Amino acid sequence: MKPFFSQIERDLLIAWQNRQDIGVMLVFFVIIIALFPLAIGANATVLDPLGVPVIWIAALLAILAGFDQLFAQDVRDGWLDQIALSQLGLGWYALAKAISNWLTAGLPLFIMTPLMAMMLNIPPQQWPPLLIALLIGSMGLTLLCVIGAALAEGARRGTALMALLILPLAVPLLIFGTLASQNDRGIISPHLMLLGAVFALLLALAPLVAASALEIGETETGL
Amino acid sequence: MTNNDDTKTARKTVLSTADHHLQINQLSVLRGMVLVISNLSHQQNAGDICCLTGPNGAGKSTLLRAIAGRLPAAGGDINCVVPIFYVGHTNGLSGAISGRQNLAGWAKINGFSATENAIDTALSSFATNRFADLPVRVLSLGQRRRLALARLALAPANSLWLLDEPNAGLDQASSRILDDIVQKHATAGGMVLAATHLDFAAAAKPRSLHLPGLET
Repeated sequence: MKPFFSQIERDLLIAWQNRQDIGVMLVFFVIIIALFPLAIGANATVLDPLGVPVIWIAALLAILAGFDQLFAQDVRDGWLDQIALSQLGLGWYALAKAISNWLTAGLPLFIMTPLMAMMLNIPPQQWPPLLIALLIGSMGLTLLCVIGAALAEGARRGTALMALLILPLAVPLLIFGTLASQNDRGIISPHLMLLGAVFALLLALAPLVAASALEIGETETGL
Repeated sequence: MTNNDDTKTARKTVLSTADHHLQINQLSVLRGMVLVISNLSHQQNAGDICCLTGPNGAGKSTLLRAIAGRLPAAGGDINCVVPIFYVGHTNGLSGAISGRQNLAGWAKINGFSATENAIDTALSSFATNRFADLPVRVLSLGQRRRLALARLALAPANSLWLLDEPNAGLDQASSRILDDIVQKHATAGGMVLAATHLDFAAAAKPRSLHLPGLET
């Protein structure tokens, strides 16, 4: 397990050196949310039900936007070659990448969410289901983006390709996530459980898919 | 000169007790749709230093990457019974963090001890201590090369080192250090396969594997 945590530690060190990226991502998140009311107009009966979906769409886009460079830098640096020869293996490497990326993108978004909920006038009794669903949803999205980044790695116009691959697959997370967030009767709802199931499936699949995608991408295109 | 003779006797004793530690049979490797290496056979034993020579595009880097398992063989097979360490032309260093952090991270993902002491010793093998705490992106090519090569000090004695142009960009003093480290590794029973256009470990009289390229 030690090599696994070392990879996370390394990614967090690098993320700390590039910490302005986290700020940019957060500002992006806030701006998307701020733009919706401006476009829809100041009509409370229309705006009120849109609060939760807007937060979800903004979180989806903000997480997706930070992902195109996930593996690119390591491939360019030759770090992936060192990983492939090390004890760690590409599957654990992909999982470590997902965790460090969630800590530097998903977690700041999650912390920022209550503020956004206040801004959108979402009633406080809706915050717990929203936050729990967003916590699981952002982890699921991160895993999905790891798959996308691994598949698009090495391709020209990788960012656009990744968005095309990922956005349709994010539909289940988005549907269950928004339904679970709008649950009126407590935190636990069938939708939350389905969201958790999608997350568990992604947790099991993403490292394997990402590892084989990286393996094939590297060996077919080469340097 | 006496030192050199010692090296040779040591190599002989190791040779007599060992099988082929690296065995390449009839290897062919494709790069895209181009056959870069065809029908190459090569053996290497504990204590062998081998220089991989040939014109640009002859497949030197391709061969090293194939041995490292980073490219699939289109035909033939590669057997290596010892751990492999690869220093490619990309150094495997992140520009955002320091050389020391890079080296410690590398040591940990390989399961080596990453104590302050061990890292310091490895860094001093290529006299990199002076700039090891700066972010790698501000360093020169030669300095990055030396940080990448400092990993070799942590590799176990019986390992195979695959070096892609290891002395490109190195100053004379560092090239001598590299020759020294390579010879010591061979004396201790390790193997080295290095693609190079320059003099490499000349005192150890390395074997040579020439790739002619496929244009002719």
